[in-house]
Amino acid sequence: MSTETTTARSERRSRLSREDLGLLLGLPILCAVVLGAWAIWRATADLDDIESRALAWGNILTLAGEHLLLTVVGALVVVATAVPIGIALTRPGMKRFATPVVGVANAGQAAPVIGVIVLFAMWLSFGFWTAILALSLYSFLPVLRNTIVRLQSVDPTLVEAARGTGMSNATVLRRVELPLAMPVIMTGVRTALVLLVGTAAFGTFISAGGLGALIVVGITLFRSPILISGGLLMAVLALLVDWAGRVLEFLATPKGM
Amino acid sequence: MWQFVTDRWLDIAYRSYQHVSLVVQSVALATVIAIALALLVTSYRRLEPVANFVSSVGLTIPSLALLGIMLPVVGIGTIPAVVVVTFYASLPILRNAVVGLQGVDRNLVESARGMGMNGWTTFRRVRLPLAWPVILAGLRVSTQMSMGVAAIAAYALGPGLGSYIFTGLTQIGGVNAVNYALVATIAIIILALLLDALLLVLGRVTTSEGIRVS
Repeated sequence: MSTETTTARSERRSRLSREDLGLLLGLPILCAVVLGAWAIWRATADLDDIESRALAWGNILTLAGEHLLLTVVGALVVVATAVPIGIALTRPGMKRFATPVVGVANAGQAAPVIGVIVLFAMWLSFGFWTAILALSLYSFLPVLRNTIVRLQSVDPTLVEAARGTGMSNATVLRRVELPLAMPVIMTGVRTALVLLVGTAAFGTFISAGGLGALIVVGITLFRSPILISGGLLMAVLALLVDWAGRVLEFLATPKGM
Repeated sequence: MWQFVTDRWLDIAYRSYQHVSLVVQSVALATVIAIALALLVTSYRRLEPVANFVSSVGLTIPSLALLGIMLPVVGIGTIPAVVVVTFYASLPILRNAVVGLQGVDRNLVESARGMGMNGWTTFRRVRLPLAWPVILAGLRVSTQMSMGVAAIAAYALGPGLGSYIFTGLTQIGGVNAVNYALVATIAIIILALLLDALLLVLGRVTTSEGIRVS
């Protein structure tokens, strides 16, 4: 009986890691293939003046750089705020606020990101920092919810056992709860990165830069090469960011898990 | 703002209707596609990692990127909106449907077959009802997400409230710019929450009595 459950468990674990492994190895290969194919097309395609100017390497690298900057700065802001607040909300004194906050976070998901960005731009001004504020606010709630839910799911008997060995609340948090919740926090980081790289596409609407500019130009002039290139490059960038998040997640998981 | 709403009451109501109608129809289409794919995946176990890979990758792709890629293929207007919303809506449902269908006890399926049910009847009377609560959870996630994606699709002249947001953006500095963006955003939030509540009720009604929780 016990061997049966162990094999079942190890089977499940190996299947899980195989799926993760598939994503860890598959994503860069997929991105390389798409990017390579695009580069070959770019070098050989017969583009008119407007198209070749929009798709010049210099322009694309600038836009991708802006996009990445929005993503990384936004993710840093989100993680630096959502994770500590999530931890604070699961402490004994604050516990009763956790459930309503999760409820608000769920309801907040209903807000359309494009509306949030446009309203912030009207309220403050156009530009990079307004985009950062709006985008991080949008990604803040899911990451906060994730942190709270996963910290709550830490086995209470483990916490009690740790208390029983004489650890203080702070030590329990540092030595037991946080290491057990580490994968969760890293999932939060990855979630933030993925949400931000997707929503940073709207940065261009409020002059904060990013690859979304190619889509806007492509729609305005209705040029298919620009539209498809913009879409593909944005998708590749998002997948690479997701992949980087997965690598971080993989590295940060404690050995015992 | 109140003046703005009363002046344009009919237009706002019509756009809200369009928005909800786009989301509901796309999510319904997505549910059918996702359950069909999940059935395929659960009968050929080797496809499972492929399905998970597709749904991870799909959800990572920014909606504006997919919109950009689809436009040269299907043109602008309602069709790209339907395609894009359906694509994103099907992914969470697919994932949940695979989990839900796999969670159905094999013995139950076997005894259904033993009673003389054919594959389709087994699916309709045993597997689908048992997996339904899990599928419905995915459906709720999809619906919330689709309300936002539908707003974005308005950039390519898709129907619904999103066009108000973009009108506000282009008229920025004008008298009604903030009103346009604010009314559309608030309306989308309210409609999304209403739809979610509706799905909750639908879940209560459509969940088979034997597995209903309280």
